[in-house]
Amino acid sequence: MRKHSVRTAALIVCILSYLLVGAAVFDALESEAESGRKRLLAQKRSELRRKYGFSAEDYRELERLALQAEPHRAGRQWKFAGSFYFAITVITTIGYGHAAPGTDSGKVFCMFYAFLGIPLTLVTFQSLGERLNALVRRLLLAAKRCLGLRRPHVSTENMVVAGLLVCAATLALGAAAFAHFEGWTFFHAYYYCFITLTTIGFGDFVALQNDEALQRKPPYVAFSFLYILLGLTVIGAFLNLVVLRFLAASADAPERAARPLRQGARASRGPALPYRPSHPAGSTSISYRIHELELWARDNLGFSPPASPGAGGRGRAGRSLARRKSI
Amino acid sequence: MFYALLGIPLTLVMFQSLGERINTFVKYLLHRAKKGLGMRRADVSMANMVLIGFFSCISTLCIGAAAFSYYEHWTFFQAYYYCFITLTTIGFGDYVALQKDQALQTQPQYVAFSFVYILTGLTVIGAFLNLVVLRFMTMNAEDEKRDAEHRALLTRNGQAGGGGGGGAGGAGGSAHTTDTTSSTAAAGGGGGFRNVYAEVLHFQSMCSCLWYKSREKLQYSIPMIIPRDLSTSDTCVEQSHSSPGGGGRYSDTPSHRCLCSGAQRSAISSVSTGLHSLSTFRSLMKRRSSV
Repeated sequence: MRKHSVRTAALIVCILSYLLVGAAVFDALESEAESGRKRLLAQKRSELRRKYGFSAEDYRELERLALQAEPHRAGRQWKFAGSFYFAITVITTIGYGHAAPGTDSGKVFCMFYAFLGIPLTLVTFQSLGERLNALVRRLLLAAKRCLGLRRPHVSTENMVVAGLLVCAATLALGAAAFAHFEGWTFFHAYYYCFITLTTIGFGDFVALQNDEALQRKPPYVAFSFLYILLGLTVIGAFLNLVVLRFLAASADAPERAARPLRQGARASRGPALPYRPSHPAGSTSISYRIHELELWARDNLGFSPPASPGAGGRGRAGRSLARRKSI
Repeated sequence: MFYALLGIPLTLVMFQSLGERINTFVKYLLHRAKKGLGMRRADVSMANMVLIGFFSCISTLCIGAAAFSYYEHWTFFQAYYYCFITLTTIGFGDYVALQKDQALQTQPQYVAFSFVYILTGLTVIGAFLNLVVLRFMTMNAEDEKRDAEHRALLTRNGQAGGGGGGGAGGAGGSAHTTDTTSSTAAAGGGGGFRNVYAEVLHFQSMCSCLWYKSREKLQYSIPMIIPRDLSTSDTCVEQSHSSPGGGGRYSDTPSHRCLCSGAQRSAISSVSTGLHSLSTFRSLMKRRSSV
């Protein structure tokens, strides 16, 4: 447990410092450009006001109108195609914000929709991603055998490299497609794909917003949706390969943590203690859970069939261990 | 892009780790509370944890909603919607805090509060997700490993070492199925309890008794781990016969051996009623060693 807490604390420190570094870098990169843009804007605005003789309130009103008209510039957002697009951005947590529910009932439904949809999507994409990894592994193995390598064996490094390549290829493909269809530069389209597929979804670049594409170009719409979903699968597969093992699951850890407290000073502590330090809570999800099961197996001869997690089993564990000592 | 490339996985791991710590702590507190209240069964069930997690999420959202509706002059509903969209990381941007009255520059306490709220809120949501969703995200990989182990064990029928030795390649990662199969042959049986993970998988697939345990663990998962074929428990018995000694440091306990035998199929009913007594297994083991 101690080790696990240390790991958590280290991660927190890491994140905080990463945030501070990021803030400093973004400040350095963007501040100047921002003040430049603001100056330019103020200049343009005073020119306009001089030209047309706007009063201050008039201009503010005009500004507000212009801002509100922005989402409508891209055409109808809430017809079926647009709503489907919106639903995708909700459950994948991309959340461009190009269209957001305006009515209160829309907001309420959005919250319930997200509440169910997001976990479902997470599990689905991880599941799909894992299947994709299995497929890639099989293909690599077949390829290695074909190439006549003596030990056809797919290592983690192979998989990671393959994963990186597939991700990069996906991004590049999407960038090419969107650069063509949306008239963006390749770099902007790549940035768009990256921000979309990492589900950040700023909304500074959004597909399907030009020329009423949502209504007029169904093949392009279908392509965009498919690209987003497939791209998320690929990224999900890569995350499944690289990151998932580090996500500590809390399934068994709480039971193990609580157990020594419950058993108190019973004899059962004896045999258990030598093992426990050797398996501190340095948990990395799956392997940790398995170590736990092992410890538990040793403690309870492998089984403790509790009706509820750790319930009567724990009592039996103590008794069983006492019995074992007598034998 | 580079910032996100490194930062997102780091953040995911951090929030899940912290969430897991919090879940552990809450479980401990609840257990103590139950004992303090003098309840007979002072164990904390999954349902308890889920309920607590759910309520803490709701209260986090409500607290944030109250705060932001005050500071940003939104209605409570709008502020609640904002908190929800923020903490689920959707982030539409239709409502954004710290955008009024130059708050970023002139109201440092409010700024600090917003940052802390977002990070704490994400931790709470992360803890809830860790409790409820994470196990489903590793489902496939574990099933696949178990299948691979099962296949490997069947093909290595009769080899010493209680199949688990073959699982050497299986530790920790998601699907290393090919590793497992190749190292299964390589590892051979030294009776060495090399990899507990594989052992447990072995148990799960072969031994109905531990099947019950895994079933209990996964009772909240969608797929039930069903022993593929009860007859394979015979295989496990053979293997345990052929590996009389213990491996490594586990020689004092026979946990590396499969503790089921074909005859134990009848014990499964007692197992499943949760009334299985360990004396049954004790006598079982005695019988086996005499054979």
